[in-house]
This record gives sequence, structure tokens and C-alpha cells, in this order.
Amino acid sequence: MASTAVEISGLTKAFGANQVLNGIDLELHKGEVTVLMGANGAGKSTLVKVICGVHPADKGEIRLNGKPLHAATPSEAIRAGIVTVHQSINDGVIPDLDVASNLMLDKLAEPGAGFFLKRREIRAEARKVAASIGLIVDVTRPVGELDLADRQLVAIARAMTHEPELLIMDEPTSSLSAKEAERLFALLERLRDTGVAILYISHRTSDIRRLADRIVCMRDGEIVGRFDQKPLDYEAAVHAMLGHGMTEADLSFKPAGEVVLALERLQITPGAKPINLNINQDEVIAITGLVGSGKSRLAAILFGLEQPVSGEMRLNGAPYAPMSPGQAIAKGVFLCPKDRGSNGILPDHNLTKNITAPFLARYSTGSILNRKAEARAARATIEKLNIVCQSEGDDIGTLSGGNQQKIMVGRWLSEACNLLILDEPFQGVDIKARRDIGDKIHETAKGRATIVMASEMDEVLEIADRIVVLADHAVAGDHDNGDLDLRLVLAQVAGQANNDHTKTASGQ
Amino acid sequence: MTTQDDTKAHAQGDHPAKVAAKRTPVDLAIRYGFLSLMAGLILFFSVASEGFVSPYSAVFIFQSVAITGILALGVTFTLVVDGFDLSIGSTATSALMLSAYVMVVLEMGAVAAVLACLVMGALVGLVNGLLIVKMKVPDLLATLGMMFLLIGLQRIPTEGRSIATGMKMPNGETTVGKFSPDFLWLGRHRFDFFIDNLIPVSVLILLGVAVLCWVFLELTRHGRLMYAIGSNQRAAALAGTNVNRYKILAYMISGVLASVGGILLAARLGRGDLASGNNLLLDSVAAALIGFAVLGAAKPNAFGTAVGALFVGVLLQGLTMMNAPYYTQDFVKGSVLVVALVFTFALTGRRRGSNH
Amino acid sequence: MKLTRRLTLGLAGGIAALAAGIAPVMAAEMPAPFDNAGEVKIALVRYLSTGDFFQAYLSGVESQAAAIGVDLRVFDSRQDAALQADMVDQAIALGVDGIIIQHGLTEAMQDAAQRALDAGIKVVAFDVDVENPAIPQIEQSDYLLGKLALEQAIKDNGDTWDAGYVYVAGIAPLDRRDVAWQDVKAANPGIRELAMFGTLDNPIANSVANQARSVLQANPGITVVFAPYDEFAKGVKIAVDEAGMTDQVDIYSADVSTADIAAMREPGSAWVATVATNPSVVGEVSVRSLAMLLAGEDPGPNVVVPPTLITQAFLNDNGITNMEELSAKMPQFAHADVSVPAWIPLPAR
Repeated sequence: MASTAVEISGLTKAFGANQVLNGIDLELHKGEVTVLMGANGAGKSTLVKVICGVHPADKGEIRLNGKPLHAATPSEAIRAGIVTVHQSINDGVIPDLDVASNLMLDKLAEPGAGFFLKRREIRAEARKVAASIGLIVDVTRPVGELDLADRQLVAIARAMTHEPELLIMDEPTSSLSAKEAERLFALLERLRDTGVAILYISHRTSDIRRLADRIVCMRDGEIVGRFDQKPLDYEAAVHAMLGHGMTEADLSFKPAGEVVLALERLQITPGAKPINLNINQDEVIAITGLVGSGKSRLAAILFGLEQPVSGEMRLNGAPYAPMSPGQAIAKGVFLCPKDRGSNGILPDHNLTKNITAPFLARYSTGSILNRKAEARAARATIEKLNIVCQSEGDDIGTLSGGNQQKIMVGRWLSEACNLLILDEPFQGVDIKARRDIGDKIHETAKGRATIVMASEMDEVLEIADRIVVLADHAVAGDHDNGDLDLRLVLAQVAGQANNDHTKTASGQ
Repeated sequence: MTTQDDTKAHAQGDHPAKVAAKRTPVDLAIRYGFLSLMAGLILFFSVASEGFVSPYSAVFIFQSVAITGILALGVTFTLVVDGFDLSIGSTATSALMLSAYVMVVLEMGAVAAVLACLVMGALVGLVNGLLIVKMKVPDLLATLGMMFLLIGLQRIPTEGRSIATGMKMPNGETTVGKFSPDFLWLGRHRFDFFIDNLIPVSVLILLGVAVLCWVFLELTRHGRLMYAIGSNQRAAALAGTNVNRYKILAYMISGVLASVGGILLAARLGRGDLASGNNLLLDSVAAALIGFAVLGAAKPNAFGTAVGALFVGVLLQGLTMMNAPYYTQDFVKGSVLVVALVFTFALTGRRRGSNH
Repeated sequence: MKLTRRLTLGLAGGIAALAAGIAPVMAAEMPAPFDNAGEVKIALVRYLSTGDFFQAYLSGVESQAAAIGVDLRVFDSRQDAALQADMVDQAIALGVDGIIIQHGLTEAMQDAAQRALDAGIKVVAFDVDVENPAIPQIEQSDYLLGKLALEQAIKDNGDTWDAGYVYVAGIAPLDRRDVAWQDVKAANPGIRELAMFGTLDNPIANSVANQARSVLQANPGITVVFAPYDEFAKGVKIAVDEAGMTDQVDIYSADVSTADIAAMREPGSAWVATVATNPSVVGEVSVRSLAMLLAGEDPGPNVVVPPTLITQAFLNDNGITNMEELSAKMPQFAHADVSVPAWIPLPAR
């Protein structure tokens, strides 16, 4: 076994009456990737924040290379050799400055740095750092012009200038395409081989399978499972994290009903191949593809947010060309958008108001709202989706991420419709919430057509009756989720990506 | 059924802090602090200043805040959709000049004057709204421009003179029109209410407007959608709301209410006084912001705005009765606003933060 | 710098001479330089311009300038002290013969006025003290304004009454009127000031009305309100009407306008008297004083335009409804016998 870089013992942390960390004992070894798993609210983020000096611990000790670590601020932690790359890339880089300045920023901020900038030296050193991690880029370019993966690499490279003992990565792949993620993994493997201890937080099965040397599971502020026997028992880890097993999604294939939505020679961007596609009643169709493959664009067109270049859409046989979300909703086409924080949640509104927002006309006589009817509908949704809350009057902000997502999905399940489109409905939720949401989508699927846009193959396989692959804004494959040739699907997803996909992705 | 029990068990397990937090002193302070502060002030003035407690005094406080109160309710609408209207003060004084112009120079009646003002207010709001949603001019800048435009515009027809009967117009003619008695009735009539000649028209209009605004914002779906737009414009749009239409509507309501304030001002003054209306703007914005703190709403709301306006009215009435000079009144207004903002942002924020 | 200025001066003078050729010759018997009045250029450099008073002042300046036949340029700095100083320099550059400085800040105008004198330009100042003996001060006597109103109050009510006083400190004319109030109070111990209030929040009348309502309620014994500014008086009148105290309270004020006349003449109005200087007369006097300087005569270091008492009874008796009628019925209001050498033609009335 490798030698220990960081040793955490008896760590506790409470916010008010809320005990978040409850005696954490954890060792992180040099040259090893430790994946930290945990459902939302298990305490992962708090643990990271205590380690990297954002929050002080209530009790317990952190030892770095055998010596006690007393980092009261993030910058002290960085100087001690604990470096964190946060989930949001832009927290780690300054988009307006060039790559060289970004890479050397912490050095410049260190006490004792010279007063005047020495551009040539900075650039030379920055090039060295960049080369050492395989970042091939002109160091004089502003970071804001780089694509997501390169920006992420810059953030990591910046971390590397401190020669870290421990590198903490918080969901680094959540906004990367598969190809970009692959570059990141390659880099992390090289770092691991140089002896850096890596603590990697992620929900993504593919990341974990690819990288993990060891899995540590958290639940309710405690470490509930450690897995380091190869091959890693992923099932058991999920079991430990959730408190129950991850059963195979039970897919009962339903016969497809009538055609609800027909896309006829629909060209969604100039120059793209036209799409011909029928979406049937009772069926759950997963549309998958890389970031930038046209999923979001298609969803926007179906919901009246954007207009197609050419072609036709027919809804239940009648021409369908919505000019606004309002018109789409009136025709019974609903969209549960991706990224609930910016597109779905009404902050400072209670659960009821968040659920009923699109359907207020139905809860009002004249223009006066019937609050009782609203509350009834909200309670029904809360019960149906098993949402953890005090009452339908709770502020949406008091809910965990998974439950917020359930509210967003529940909003659109609260009314019957012809076509329900869910764009990345499993984004940023733990596996339990993902299961709950998936089950509800299936349970209610009868009587409407359902489209789920998702890029994670796990999610697609779990939810779909039928899988449509998009690449380059056109259909690349159409499969029943029966006996599926997964390799073919993946080839279709990635196949077009070989051409020039990273470019489109960065434009996203 | 099991699921529901499950939910409850979860709820209690997950949020023990929150159940306890419901009744903390901080929570009570946020909810009722501002109202008790107001009650305390009224009590203090009753003891300290003779004649403060009387129906006349109460009615007068309402009267003194009627105009700013109505303007503040207009501001509330634009704040609800996450906008801001800097032009309300000058819209009000433009309505003041316009009503005088219609009656004194054009020699028309009260109905024409009132209609002209309301149409002008709606137009100003429409232009503001179009500038903001169609031309994408940021709200503060668009309405700032409108403010200057109106301050200038109201002076053009008379070359910067106030309008009164018998004044000389730029073309040398002497005006012969008069403020119609029906129009002056708006500013001067008092209804009997237990006591003869007690309640001025303007107070009834304030109360009426406040109730209407409250009903619109709290009870109708249009109000709800406006709040949704203010909370997260994108999310509201994706829920099928016609965001642009509601934003324009909010600015039009703001403009119309400002012109109502201007009409009442003209009816009280009985002449077309030139004024920039900036004090009206500042006072009404203060009232709307103070309203954030009422009942811990932490957002623009009609009831809070009305209470905020009254709070300022009570303070000024009491201080004036105690012979406090005018500059102390600005100081006190400022202090109240700062306290209200602390209530709103610091305390409410802390409460929210502790739940996370 | 100096050279350029002289060059500009010369150029501007040339243009003025050209213009004069077209203009009709007004008064051949006037002394130089007014024997060719069209060639004489004067500038009015204003600090304050919005409001009825300033409009009327400007019209007085315009009509007297037209009567003499001089070329008048108006510069309006809109309460920007630095800009006003720049405008004096512009006027110098334009080659004017005389400048009237209307209001402004002493500190800002002192140097500018001196520069004008250095350029050989005659200067008079209205309501701004530029602390320069070569520059005559035109004044409407604010002290007298207050004094006359209070004398009328004592005449009407005797020398023992409870008063409300409207005052905002720091505004020069109001400060000078305040001196009269303090003097009268000291001389008449029977006059008690129960409340002092006042604000300049606009619309001023509306804000003052709100204050006055509170004051009258707190001090029901007040019988006289001294409101030495017509906006104040207007506000107090609204409050008195609203409180139903018209029979009990009398308002004495300063300044007058057409709207004020209407308010004073309302049946049962509490506003019984005001004292005013006709702002257009002040404008005329400003131009005449400047003309005297240009002709080599001396208007004196302080040119005071005397105020006139206007009572409600006088307005009612003569059926006066506006400023023009007031001027017609009250000659001392329409014209001031100040700075009137025989050779200056007066504006037509």
C-alpha cells in the first residue's frame, strides 16, 4: 500500500443544530485516486470545505505527511499543499486574463513576490507548467477564449504550480463532453503516477469506473463504506451510499401507441441533415448525444423558443409551429428545461408557487387564484414524487438539489399533456432521486408521448423505451431499448464526434 | 399512505434545525419588528405631542402620504418584475402641468383633464416598457432618460412658466380657463365619516388603489406571474409566461399611478406648478423599500408599501408637531430606510442561511 | 491667449457693426455709445432661471433692452457655478460692452467679474455680491420685503399674537427676510413664535402644506403665519383651508404671481397680504443701471428696487386677476423710479 499523504481523524462539524460531519476518519494515499461518493446532503461538500480551509473543524485533526495541518484560510491550505478545483470552472480561472497570468496568479499573490511584473519570466514558467500537464495552448491567449476542457486544464495547471500533496476535484466533468473528459482523465492519471493524492468527487459511474483506485462512501455525515479491493465493487458502493441496493431498472416495454409528434424533413440548423422522426404515445424516448449535438436546439424548437430552418412538425396530425412557450403549452407540449437553477426554479417562491406557475389559468376563476386548489395540486405532486419537505408552503431554497429537481419534474407532471420533453432531468441529482424521477416518468407515461434528453448513457439505458442518437444536429441512430447493441450506440454518439465536435461543444 | 408517513419522518429527520427555528426571537423580530416599531412610535408621539391622537391627525397622516403612497405602489409594480422606474416623479409633475394646461389654457373640463393625464401616464409607461423590453435599454437608464425628457417637456408649452388662470402665454394671450370645481373636488372635498368633513378624496383613492394593487399582486395569476418574472425571468418564460407583455404592463401601471398622483397634486395645489418631482420619486421609492421589511416579506409588496408610506407619514407628522426642523426629517427618513433594509437583507438573509 | 481674445473681440465687433447697419436707429439724442444703440451689445449671465420669478425678470431685461435698442445675449448656466464663470468669459470673447450677472456664488463670480472689468466691460450684478466696488449691486430689498409684510401684520392684528413662521436657513433671500422677522420679534415681545417649519422639497407648496397641517394641529392657537416666500404661503393656505381654520389664521407673505393673486382672492382666503418687488421691474432697472455705466454715468454702488405692499382688500376692490392688471392699477408696482436718467426710453406698457 502506498504511503499516506493526508490523515483525517475524528473530524466533526455542525452548523447550528445541524450536525453535518459526524466523526470522519479518512486516509488519502499518495499516488492514488480516491473517489468520494455520497447522495446530495451527505456532507461531501462540507468535508471538502473543512479540508481546504474554508470552514474550521469543530473537533478532530487533519495531518499532512504526518504533521498536523492548521489551515485557517484557503490560501494557507494551498501553501501547505492542498489544492482544490471547484465544480464551477469559472471559480478557478479569471477569463479576462491570459493563460500565463492565470497559471502564475497564485505565485503573484504570494507575499514576497516582486512589485513589478516580469512578463517574459512569467510566460516562460507558464509554458513549462502547461507543458508538464499536456496543455498545448498559446499562453498569451485570454482564458475566456479557450474551450471548457482547456479552461478546466488551466484551473488544474494553476493548482499544479503549487506542487500539491493533495488535489481535490469536485465534480470536474459535469460540464465537459466525453472527449474533453477523456483529456482530463489522462492528465489525472499522469498526476497520480507522479505521486499526488487525488480526492475525486463525482456521481458519474463512467468517471468512477475509469479512474477510481478506491471508493469511499458517505452517508449522513459519516463514512459508511470503503472499497479498495480490485475489481471495485461498484454495486456495493452504491448500496452503502444509498442504504439500499441499486437494482437494475425494471424495464417493461410498452407497445407504442399512435404517432403524437411527427417531424418531417425538419432541419434544425442551417446545413444540418433534415430529421424525420415519429414520437409515439405511451412511449418514453431518450434522445442522446454529446454536448452540442443538437439536443437542446431540438428541445427549444419543439417548445417554441426557436424556429427551425425548414421542414414541418405535426402534432396529432395537425400542423404544429409554436412561436412561444405559451403557445406550446396551450397545445399540450411541455418542456422541463435543463439546468433548473437558471431555467426552472423560482427562487424565494414556495413549492406550491413553483409547481403551479405554468398552469395558473387552471387554478383561477376570472383572474383570481384559488389558493386551495393550488395547494391541493401541490400536495398531490409532493406525495406522488415522494418529495422531502415540511409542507407545500416551504421555500424552494430549503430543499436539497434532488428534491428541487423533483419539484421541477413534478410541475410538468401535474397536468396531462400530449408531449412531455424533459431536458437532462437527472442533472446533479443523486441516484435515489434519479430512480424516483425515472419511475414517475414511466408510471405517468401512458396517454402521452415522452422525450427525455440525456447525455449520460446510464441514464438513457435506465429510462428509455427507445433511444434516438443525435449527432451533428441530425439523427444518427434509432434503437429499441430491447436487445441493444450498446457498442453501436456509443459509436453513433461518438462517431461523428471524430470530425470536429469539440468546437461546437465549446460554443455551448 | 406509507409514502406520506415516510415523507414526514424524512422531513423531521432532515431538518431538525428548521423546526426549532420557526419560533426564534430573530424570526419574530423579522416578522413583526417593523410593525411593532411603528406601534411604538405612535405611542411615543401620543405621549410626547399633544393633539397627535385624534381622528383628524390619523386622517391627515393618510392625506400627507396619499400622493407618495400612490406613486410608491406604482414603484412596487416595477420592483416586482425586477425593474425600476425613475420617471414616476416627473410623470406625476407632468400630469400636474398637463391637467392645468388642459383646463386653464385649453379651457376644457375636469373629465378631459383627468383622462388626458391617465392617457399620458399610460403612454409614458408604454414607452418605458418598449425601451426596456424591445430596445433592451437597461431599466434604470431608460427611465432616467424618460425622467429628464419629461422634466423638460412639461416646460416647453409655457416656456418654463407655472400655469395659472390669467397668466400670459408665450404668444401674448392671457389665459382665461379655470381649474374646474369638479377637478378641485378631487383635492379638496371631504367625506363625512362619523365626523363631518373628515376623509379627503385623496385618502379614499389611496386606500382604493392600495387594495386594488394588493388584490392584483397577491390574489390574481397576473400578479403571481409578475413575481415569477422578478424572481427568475428565464424560468418564468419557460413556464409559458409572456414576459415582455407583463413587463410593459408593470411600467404602464407605474405610469398611470404616477399620473393619478399628479392629478391629486394638481387638485390640491389648484395650479400648474413646475417641479421636477424628484422628491416625490425619492419618497415613494423609500416607501416601497421600507415595505420590504414589513412582515418579513423581503420582497416588494403592496401591503408593505402602504405601511412603509404610512410609517414615514407618522414620523413626519410627529416630528413636525414637535417642532423638529426639516433637515432632521430627511435624517430620520434615511435612518428608517437603513433600518428597514437591515431588517430585510441582514436578518432575513441570516435566517435563510441557517437553514442550509 | 490675450492676442486671440483681442482678435476675437475685433471680429465680433465687426459682425456687430454689420448687424447695426440693418437695425433701425432708435434714439438719436441718446449719449454715446447709445447714439448708435444697435452696436451696443450686452449679456445677461444667469445662475437661476427656472420659475416664474426668473421668467419675469428676464422679460423685464428683454423689454428694457429692446426699448433702448441694444443687442442682448442671454447665457443660462442652470445653477452650475463653474459654467456661469465660463459664460462670463464667453461673453468677454463675444466682445460685449456690458454684462449683467444675475445670481450666482460669490466665490465663483468674483474672478470672472474682475476679468470682465479688465477687458473694459461694464458689469452690474443682481442679487449676487461679487465684492467689487466697481460693480453696482442691483437689489430687491429682501429686508424691506419682510419688514413691510410684518408691519402690515401688526397693523391688522395688534402687537400681541401667536405666530407660525416658515423658514429654511441657508437661502440668501430668506436669510435676509429672516433678519426682519428677528428684528420685529425683538421689538414686539407680544409676538410669540410657536412653531418654525419649512422645506424646499418640491413641489414646495405640497410639502409645506403637509408640514403646516401638523403644525396647526399641534398649535391651534396660531393666528398669524409669516411665510416670506410665495410657495410657502401657498402651502400654508392649503393647510389652513384643509384644517378649516380660514377664519382664524392670517397669512403674510412675500412675492407675488398671477397664481398667487388668484389664491389670495379666493373667497375667505387666509392669505391677506403679500409684499413684492416686480421681478420684471428689477430686470428693467438692471438694464438701465448698466446703460448708465456705459454712458459714463454712476447709478450708485447699491441700486435698491423698493418693494410694494399688496393686500387682499386692494386686489378685491380693484378686481385684479393677474400681474398685468396689478401693474396697471398699482403704478409703484409697475415701475420703479430707480436709475431713470431722462435719456433712457422706458419700455412701453
